[in-house]
Amino acid sequence: MAAFTYAPAIVLLPFVSFLVALFLGDRMPKGGALAGIAATGLSLVLSIWVALDVAGFVGSSTSYNEFIYTWVAGVDSITLRFGLLLDPLSALMLLIVTLIAFLVHIFSLGYMNDEGETGLPRYYAGLGLFTASMLGFVVANNLLMAFIFFELVGLCSYLLIGFWFREDGPPSAAKKAFLVTRFGDYFFLIGVVGIIATFGTGLFAPIREGGQVVEQSFPALAEAAIVDGATGPIAMLETVGMGPQAWFTVLGLLVLGGVIGKSAQFPLHTWLPDAMEGPTPVSALIHAATMVAAGVYLVARMYGFYAISPTALAVIALVGGFTALFAATMGVVKQELKQVLAYSTISQYGYMMLALGSGGYVAAVFHLTTHAVFKALLFLGAGSVIIAMHHNENMWDMGGLKDRMPVTYWTFLSGSLALAGIVPFAGFWSKDEVLYEALIHGFGSSNGLGPVYLLAYTFGLLAVFMTGFYTFRMVYLTFHGEPRTDIARDPVSVGWNVKGPLSVLGVLAATVGFINMAPVAKLTGAHIDFLHKWLNGPDEGGWPAALNTGFHHYEVLLKDVAGVGVGEPLGSIGTLLGSAALSLALALAGLLVARSLYSGPEPVEHTDKLGGVKTILMHNYYQDEYQVWLATGLTYPVARAMDKFDQGVVDGVVNGVSSVSLFGGRRARRIQSGVVSNYATLLTLGLVLLLVVFGLAGGWF
Amino acid sequence: MVDPTWLATAPALAFGAAALVLLLADSIDPDTTNTTVLGGIAVAGSLGSLAAAVYLLYGGVGIPTGEGGSGPAVLFGGQLVVDQMALFFMTIVASVTALVTLASMDYVREHAYQAEFYSLVLLSATGMSLLSAANSLATGFVAFELVSLPSYALVAFLKKNRGSVEAGLKYFLIGAVSSSVLAYGISLVYAATGVMRFDAVATAIQSGTVQTVVDGSIEAQASGASVQMSILGVGIVMIIGGLAFKMAAVPFHFWAPEAYEGAPAPISAFLSSASKAAGFVIAFRAFAVAFPIGALAETGGAVDWFVVFQVLAIATMFIGNFAAATQETVKRMLAYSSVGHAGYVLIGLAALTATGDGMALSMSAGMAHLLVYGFMNTGAFLFIALAEYWGVGRRFEDYNGLGKQAPVACAAMTVFLFSLAGLPIGGGFFSKFYLFQATLNVSAWSLAAALVINSALSLFYYSRVVKAMWIEEPTGERTIESYPTGLYTAIVAAAVITVLLIPGFGYVSEVAFRAVELL
Repeated sequence: MAAFTYAPAIVLLPFVSFLVALFLGDRMPKGGALAGIAATGLSLVLSIWVALDVAGFVGSSTSYNEFIYTWVAGVDSITLRFGLLLDPLSALMLLIVTLIAFLVHIFSLGYMNDEGETGLPRYYAGLGLFTASMLGFVVANNLLMAFIFFELVGLCSYLLIGFWFREDGPPSAAKKAFLVTRFGDYFFLIGVVGIIATFGTGLFAPIREGGQVVEQSFPALAEAAIVDGATGPIAMLETVGMGPQAWFTVLGLLVLGGVIGKSAQFPLHTWLPDAMEGPTPVSALIHAATMVAAGVYLVARMYGFYAISPTALAVIALVGGFTALFAATMGVVKQELKQVLAYSTISQYGYMMLALGSGGYVAAVFHLTTHAVFKALLFLGAGSVIIAMHHNENMWDMGGLKDRMPVTYWTFLSGSLALAGIVPFAGFWSKDEVLYEALIHGFGSSNGLGPVYLLAYTFGLLAVFMTGFYTFRMVYLTFHGEPRTDIARDPVSVGWNVKGPLSVLGVLAATVGFINMAPVAKLTGAHIDFLHKWLNGPDEGGWPAALNTGFHHYEVLLKDVAGVGVGEPLGSIGTLLGSAALSLALALAGLLVARSLYSGPEPVEHTDKLGGVKTILMHNYYQDEYQVWLATGLTYPVARAMDKFDQGVVDGVVNGVSSVSLFGGRRARRIQSGVVSNYATLLTLGLVLLLVVFGLAGGWF
Repeated sequence: MVDPTWLATAPALAFGAAALVLLLADSIDPDTTNTTVLGGIAVAGSLGSLAAAVYLLYGGVGIPTGEGGSGPAVLFGGQLVVDQMALFFMTIVASVTALVTLASMDYVREHAYQAEFYSLVLLSATGMSLLSAANSLATGFVAFELVSLPSYALVAFLKKNRGSVEAGLKYFLIGAVSSSVLAYGISLVYAATGVMRFDAVATAIQSGTVQTVVDGSIEAQASGASVQMSILGVGIVMIIGGLAFKMAAVPFHFWAPEAYEGAPAPISAFLSSASKAAGFVIAFRAFAVAFPIGALAETGGAVDWFVVFQVLAIATMFIGNFAAATQETVKRMLAYSSVGHAGYVLIGLAALTATGDGMALSMSAGMAHLLVYGFMNTGAFLFIALAEYWGVGRRFEDYNGLGKQAPVACAAMTVFLFSLAGLPIGGGFFSKFYLFQATLNVSAWSLAAALVINSALSLFYYSRVVKAMWIEEPTGERTIESYPTGLYTAIVAAAVITVLLIPGFGYVSEVAFRAVELL
């Protein structure tokens, strides 16, 4: 139990570094960076310890789910508490977040300190709070606590994206990120209230004492309501007048609103490309491990709740698949390095949503893991290029950086191969599994889910080609050919604090895929699909039985309730190989097209050949425009009308009441004439009136 | 049982004794203006009365022996009864009197006839204490007059001040009319039932036959005559009228704004808090004990008196608050607000069902409001006394910027005003809320609506004073030379108790609820 006892420190250490950087940062060397590095480093060590504990290598228990702090004690009602849920999913996520945060802190030494930025204490305080919020979100054992930390993550992203608040772009981008995600979180909040009102609890997993369940979780209650028909305890169903499945779908979709906002899924993805205005290490943190990952992680965290709702699954899969393709097409024409990466992030999170929606829980978590590594790598690599280029991000001003910054080039290449999905780099294994799951479930599912999955799969498959293309367009333009500007001919060299994190991530991007080589495992029969086993847990007892969060349990739910089944049109091995070959071929095709177009010493722009399509793509399908129109053309007039109503009718009534009151008051005052005989008369008349009225009513006369 | 039984009236006796001591001191040295001695005697007498009342209240007088108390103390063949309700009101009266006499020490320091002033206050307080214990229409009337007569003189105490004298005369004239109405009502009830004691009147109404009291026990009259319901009804309505005068309820309120405005401010505090409470205690006891609404309804119903009270309550709330909203002087605004508060307390007698259910809740809510009101309203009027002492003008504008010069007193005044409005800064919030609950309990929507509307309105005119004190800039030159200790002590004490009644309200309402249940 020891590691679990110290688990709160994983969250608290970065929080302490936030306080240290905020209050003492300007008196410390490096503006508080060292405190942040030490805190995230220690958190990383503790996370490894927790992971070892969950794996059963040390300690006696492999899972932990307890409340540690009562926030609001309810009498005969709901009590709001903070608690920790540590199972393989959260342990894995802790590892990812602490590792990326640690490396980002080190990289920041090169990107921020060495570049002589001002306001460093504010920067490191923001990083610390950002990391702490995300870690708190990861370990949350109930929905309300998750929501609170989810919002904190949003706040920190606002603070960090707007770090250079004296310039024009960043404050506006920060506001946009805040408001757009807030729009999604609005639904999330309603969902949280709805779930707590419906089930009386927001727990993700049941709490047990001595083997007995002392507090049930809401996914388990929902499951009992649908599978066993135990709808009796859920009074809310009668209030809303819906069947359990319909109502749970509504709740799930409400929570999904927050997910779509945070994970930048269509149509709430518009904030993310603008968020590139923030410092590049922050972008790395946002895209790889914290903010954007939070949405997908939330769906995985309460997967038991989504697994019983085929409608919600279909929505998730479709949104994910569409976003994957939609964002990839926009990435094709971008000219700035970080913009390409931004759209690739949206696209890759689309894959994760596709996997979650189509029953590929393991594939989604796998892709989340590999993506965290290679996307952090690509952003840090981009940061390195940006340092070298004096903060010029336009790829057409680069070229030929390959020989001048070899460490950056080779690590960036590793990340690019992973992103494009070229075997054997990390991205290949995870993306292939995502697509494979969507494919086989597309053929095997009932309830109308099959065609939806196949459609989403097609989107995803097309996006593979696009991904290969824009990734290598970016690589060729940045690193190959002849330098196109003076700065590119003589770039600034970068220090160890940039190369170190790049090297670590570069190696990981090439190798992290080996944790779950499912196709190889299936072909050879060797048990090397470690992640699968990690999330599946032991078949009998252990943490899956205690927490109901094991993959096997989800599989049963998906199959029995949602009707997600397996269909293999080419036979077991054939389908597996076919799917892998198809996605690899498309990725390679994208790569080769990019090579043929952009690999020469003096590449030229080809985007004009796209004609009108280019305009649409450069304007991001006018997504921003229509959202701005929604705000100014629709919301603003409605708000104005409401204001008119408030000013005119509501205030009018209030003012009218007060005028009438004052008028009445003056009348009431006038009775008081000051003449005592008038008083006596009025008094007597009043009494007589009372006597007459009640005398007549009482029949005295 | 208190032994000897007459000791149970100690709260009233303490007042009476102190008044006599004052008169004695005055006859030894008729020209003395030694405020410390004279005021000291009055304060000591009030505190003695308060101590006795609290001691007896806690001691369980009025609580049945079976429940750990010592039973009600019955004196003079049931003419006086000291029980929990009597002691509750004696506590209110003694608290207000203590605050008023303490504050008066500074106020009347320059005046002649101080001994008379204090002895009149104490004699009036004696009447209030006795009125709390009165258990018959006859003792009630006598105690009622003992309250009234000294207060006429007190209102006119500032003999050189035209307003004071005029107010005193008007108060006396209206008081005379009201007393005659009350006396006539009592005579009609006596004519109908043959008895004066409250429990005997109730017996007569329940049995429908005229009763008599022989050696303290109630018997039916030998003639076997039945109760004339119509005469009884007229009597009850006239008694309501007479008592409404003391409560300052519409339409018997005309004296109140002028008397409160013309009187010395401590006397205004005394009249609007203690005297009002005394009017209510006799009404509570008479209508809960003597005219049980259930029995009246069963026997064909002379009058549904709670409907009369509903009419009075709503009219009083509206007229009091609406008139207060348009005043230009602070003291007169408070005078009208005091009328409005009488309307709130009247809910205690109005929020009943036709069978009399809900009385314990509504009446105890009224009692609790009177207790809280005793502190916050007294405090507010004492602040006016302080302003008069400083020579600050009477209008709202004259209070501009006072908060900078006298922050403590103004903070206390803010507490009083917001508590009067019903904001949770003082006990006034809970007592109004409790009244509101009482109205909802019996679904008396009109009362609930009137309560809410008028509370909202009252916030408007109370905040005008707060705004003037804290936000506005002072207009003219104003120098404050001294900070009178006695007045300050009284104001701060009242403010502290008003705030403490937030946590203490649960206890107060419990005692009040029990007192009504034991009637």
